[in-house]
Amino acid sequence: MTKEFEDLKEVLKKAPTPEAMKEAAEAFKRYRIVELAKGKASKPTLVSLGYKKRYPHAVPLDKMPEELATNPEFFELMGRIVREKE
Amino acid sequence: MPTVLAMADFDLPTRSASGFMLRYIAPRVEPIQLLGVLVRRLPFRLSAPQSDIIIGVGHGDVDVFTGQNEAIILEVGKYDPREVKGKVIKLLSCQTGVELGPDLVKNGAASVLAYVDDYVWVVDADLASTPWSDKMAATSLMPVVDGLNALLDGKTAKEALNIELEGYSRNAKVEKDELVKACLEFNRSNAILIGDGGASIRARPSLALPFKLIPPPPLLMPV
Repeated sequence: MTKEFEDLKEVLKKAPTPEAMKEAAEAFKRYRIVELAKGKASKPTLVSLGYKKRYPHAVPLDKMPEELATNPEFFELMGRIVREKE
Repeated sequence: MPTVLAMADFDLPTRSASGFMLRYIAPRVEPIQLLGVLVRRLPFRLSAPQSDIIIGVGHGDVDVFTGQNEAIILEVGKYDPREVKGKVIKLLSCQTGVELGPDLVKNGAASVLAYVDDYVWVVDADLASTPWSDKMAATSLMPVVDGLNALLDGKTAKEALNIELEGYSRNAKVEKDELVKACLEFNRSNAILIGDGGASIRARPSLALPFKLIPPPPLLMPV
């Protein structure tokens, strides 16, 4: 696992305070820089099949830092996604 | 008995998921197939009682499964048990395994395959008109397709779930992108079977050769 993704996971373990959310946004930006350097698909987008959620059904990865920084529900969803692998 | 295959396709996630159903599942099953604007309560209510399997792709929550433009298809306490009695049901949707799945079994469904948290994956939005060609989305959606094909081959619900779970594990093992890998492991840990694991349906013929080779035409995209 890259250090950048490890850092992101650590931040997402925190409660969704404004500080933690900003920290997660920065951590995701650093992770994306590493992934983009590998040559990724043209417009990768995280999608979900939730109904009436307080986060969008589709979040382009380049918009994820913004969503992480401003949306506590999305921050928590991302926390659940990365936490499951432990 | 016919198959009810309900495929909402009004936004990026439903178009991606339904695209894989159109490519790999729809050609193997006889009508009734509900696509796009047909994924609404009335067509579902009329067709479901005749089927032995219900496959649904759409947005959902703990107590509800929706179709096109989030029209409610199945909601706890608000459907006729005849729609689900004796059927194997697969819902590719978020969280329907929490309350709706148990409710469907309580009302007579033989078994329900669903998820207890969000179903998440990464798509390439530039491939929205040919979602089946999206290799990144395939890492998550092909295990679902493989599980469904197992059901259509006459395997049990438990065997189908295991095939889906093995698919996630296999793909996660070789996946380089850590976010995609996290999504696979997340979906794997949230996939559940409720009801009779030994339930099965009449086997359908396998995918005919032309459909193995030729994908569907590109989906029409809203302007």
